[in-house]
Amino acid sequence: MMMASDIRPEPTPKARERLLDVKGLTIEIETRNGPATIVDGIDLHVDKGETLGIVGESGCGKSLTMLSMMRLLPNKIRVTKGEANFGGRDLQKMSNADLRKVRGGEVGFIFQDPMTSLNPVMRIGQQLAEPLIYHRGMTKAEARKRAGELLKLVGIPGAEDRLDAYPHELSGGMRQRVMIAIGLACNPQLLIADEPTTALDVTIQAQIVDLVKELRDKLGMSVVWITHDLALIAGLVDRINVLYAGTVVEDAPVDALFDNPSHPYTQGLLASIPKLTDERSTRLSSIGGTPPEPGRRPKGCPFAPRCPLAEQVCHERVPSLEGVGQAGAHRVACFVAQRKLEAA
Amino acid sequence: MSVVPMTNNTVEIEPPVSLWRDAWHRLRRNRLAVFGLAVVVILAFTAVFGPYLTPYDFLSQDLNSRNMAPSLTHFFGTDDLGRDVFSRVIYGTRTAFLVAIVVTFIAVLIGVTLGALAGFFGGWLDRIVMWLTDMTMSIPNLLLVVVINASLKTPIASWMESRYLATLNPFYRETIWVDFLLVFGSMALISWPPYARLVRAQVLSIRSRPYITAAQALGLTNRIILMRYVVPNALGPLIVAVSAGLGTAMVLESAFSFLGVGVNPPTPSWGNMISDGLRVWQHYPHLLAAPAAVLGLASVAFSFLGDGLNDALNPRGAK
Repeated sequence: MMMASDIRPEPTPKARERLLDVKGLTIEIETRNGPATIVDGIDLHVDKGETLGIVGESGCGKSLTMLSMMRLLPNKIRVTKGEANFGGRDLQKMSNADLRKVRGGEVGFIFQDPMTSLNPVMRIGQQLAEPLIYHRGMTKAEARKRAGELLKLVGIPGAEDRLDAYPHELSGGMRQRVMIAIGLACNPQLLIADEPTTALDVTIQAQIVDLVKELRDKLGMSVVWITHDLALIAGLVDRINVLYAGTVVEDAPVDALFDNPSHPYTQGLLASIPKLTDERSTRLSSIGGTPPEPGRRPKGCPFAPRCPLAEQVCHERVPSLEGVGQAGAHRVACFVAQRKLEAA
Repeated sequence: MSVVPMTNNTVEIEPPVSLWRDAWHRLRRNRLAVFGLAVVVILAFTAVFGPYLTPYDFLSQDLNSRNMAPSLTHFFGTDDLGRDVFSRVIYGTRTAFLVAIVVTFIAVLIGVTLGALAGFFGGWLDRIVMWLTDMTMSIPNLLLVVVINASLKTPIASWMESRYLATLNPFYRETIWVDFLLVFGSMALISWPPYARLVRAQVLSIRSRPYITAAQALGLTNRIILMRYVVPNALGPLIVAVSAGLGTAMVLESAFSFLGVGVNPPTPSWGNMISDGLRVWQHYPHLLAAPAAVLGLASVAFSFLGDGLNDALNPRGAK
């Protein structure tokens, strides 16, 4: 075990401990035409001290996977199969009381929209104090003091004076900092950031990414950062999982993913990032078609209908995630990419 | 493992200011609302302590001093039977408050319960409640009260009289409460739909707001989420609606009494006083002016108070 003085655990890639391990999680939504699968047996894991980026376009199940893991889904959406182990305990089977201790206490959340994710009629100091009182059994005075420190930690100027502010009195960036402070209030082992910068402008986005990076290094926690913006998190994450239609299509260390994207979908995503060196007249590149609707998933690889490299086999069978390099750390779910590697 | 450096300089800890205290501060800065609140408080005080404040009995007639103009002995003058108008207005306040409170209380009770259940559970329960609401809203309140007066009141009154004659129990002799309960009870039974709709809409919209998910993600219990996240966010509009509803109920009581289907004479009501005053206003304008002015004042006061509460309880909407 690391000592208390350690600021960040030594990165020892070989002997890493699994913090979060999601296995075969399947999520269904009830529709008029019966249940439809949105997330199909997803596998993903986060090691202690690791930062995982989850990338994919809107509706691919990124947020849903994280929310369902913590059983925060609306009634019509259900987990039908699979498990989500956190620190060796299955969150899906845990009692509600135990789960509440994990939520907020061991896993912190930051949500997409800081404008609406704070209770408008509660002062931010109180909102920060709530998990401290509930999870850490602090008195109101202690919690308030700690809340002031947390605001200072996330870089809010005049932190103590801001405790009495209502959310509407703060700017979007400031509110997102407050959200981060709330997420971090109980020193969670895992911070799940669900597109925390989507609602913010570009300069603030960078600040928030830097802030989370700094806090992660300081507090030594694991982070899952959900986004559709690959470029934004390139400098933040250790590993990236590319999601498509509710399955992981590529899992790779961040450098490997950028240097050698193997799945045609990842290649398409990377190609669609505009470059400064492009000619002005160049059209932005995009991936043709749209993702499959829930309930209308193709029989084979879910990306096959949009894939430029698709072959007969892709339409017939679902490829599994296989290692293609980096000693098995780089994995891809694509028949074409896997065959290419074998040939090489 | 707490990595956050503990600061040594002591943090000044103010007592946490609650939403309500904060709303009170904002309300106090709003002059119209303060005026409204003051008038409402004075009227409420008058209603409660009426019997100790009236210089004369509201029923005692003095035929030697009929239709007198306002003076120091009779602040609002006297009416055609020599009754003190000031005392009658004070008793009218009692009537108005009693009706307003009974009607609003029953309506809020029904409305909030049905609305919250519908909003929370949705589905078929929601559909039934909304169907009931629409149906109830289609009943015109004046028509209902007239129908009840015409159909139920007489048989019940005569039944009570026969009971009195049979038992000599004084309970059956008092028929005033029949006015109140029958007429205004039925009013309450058709004035809940706005509250039900309001609360349902509130619960529905709050339930799906991101801050509720965020609170769940913090591991807070449903009770805490309900008490600190759902209720305070739903209460503001309800309080505003109740304040406005009290004013409306008072005006309705006066309107019905004015038309002769509400409180029956000799029980004083602003409405039946206005009705009596209207016949002689060219000669004795004070008989019309006194109750009309008080009714107007009360109505405006509740309206200002409602608006002020609206601003005070919605920090976002306030300027």
